[in-house]
Amino acid sequence: MQSLIEYLVKALVDEPDQVNVTEVAQEEATTYEVRVAPGDLGKVIGKQGRIANALRTVAKAAAMKHKRKVYVEIIA
Amino acid sequence: MSDAQDREGAQTPSPEDQRIAMQLMEEVCAATGQRVRPVLRAVQGNYLHIELVGEDVRATWGRMGQALDALQLLCNLILARRVTTDVRLVLDANNYRERRAEVLTQRALELAREVKERQEEAELEPLPPHERRIIHTALINDPEVRTYSEGEEPDRRVIISPR
Repeated sequence: MQSLIEYLVKALVDEPDQVNVTEVAQEEATTYEVRVAPGDLGKVIGKQGRIANALRTVAKAAAMKHKRKVYVEIIA
Repeated sequence: MSDAQDREGAQTPSPEDQRIAMQLMEEVCAATGQRVRPVLRAVQGNYLHIELVGEDVRATWGRMGQALDALQLLCNLILARRVTTDVRLVLDANNYRERRAEVLTQRALELAREVKERQEEAELEPLPPHERRIIHTALINDPEVRTYSEGEEPDRRVIISPR
């Protein structure tokens, strides 16, 4: 899961070296904290959060098999 | 831009761009850690139709169109960064697109019948561009109704109105 988010985010930005995805496991859910270079924020958020929402939907689908709740947070 | 826009004339992606597109999808599938792999099913104009196949498809991508649409959006954004021509991916899984197209076409025909009977406009729920196009296409040859879209993405809806 982490590798999928990491792959997609790195492929979307201009500075893939600055991408950092951290997995924070809680009891009920897992949160993936996504950090990118300041100049790349727009590329992972998109207009009206369209890209960020797509990342969330994809993460949810990919986690469905494991029946776990996942959240994707983009940390500015 | 019209949803019904004809893309048939669009240029077929070069073999190199097709290779880049398939490689992208291979990498995405590998990154999921699931038993999923991409298969190129058809090339229509500048659209590459790719089906996700494998044991894990049904449980994930094949179940909700939302997930498939989200993955398609992200893959198209990434692909646009890697190729110089206008190549678009249409992702499918578990035959979802075809089944969905059939459902949308039936809805369009049913609504058109009501619109003619009542001589009143009908409005569909918000749909993504490719699904709106299915509605427009289903009714394009019906002389008694016309279709158009209203609103801004992602709340853009098709209206069917009597002519």
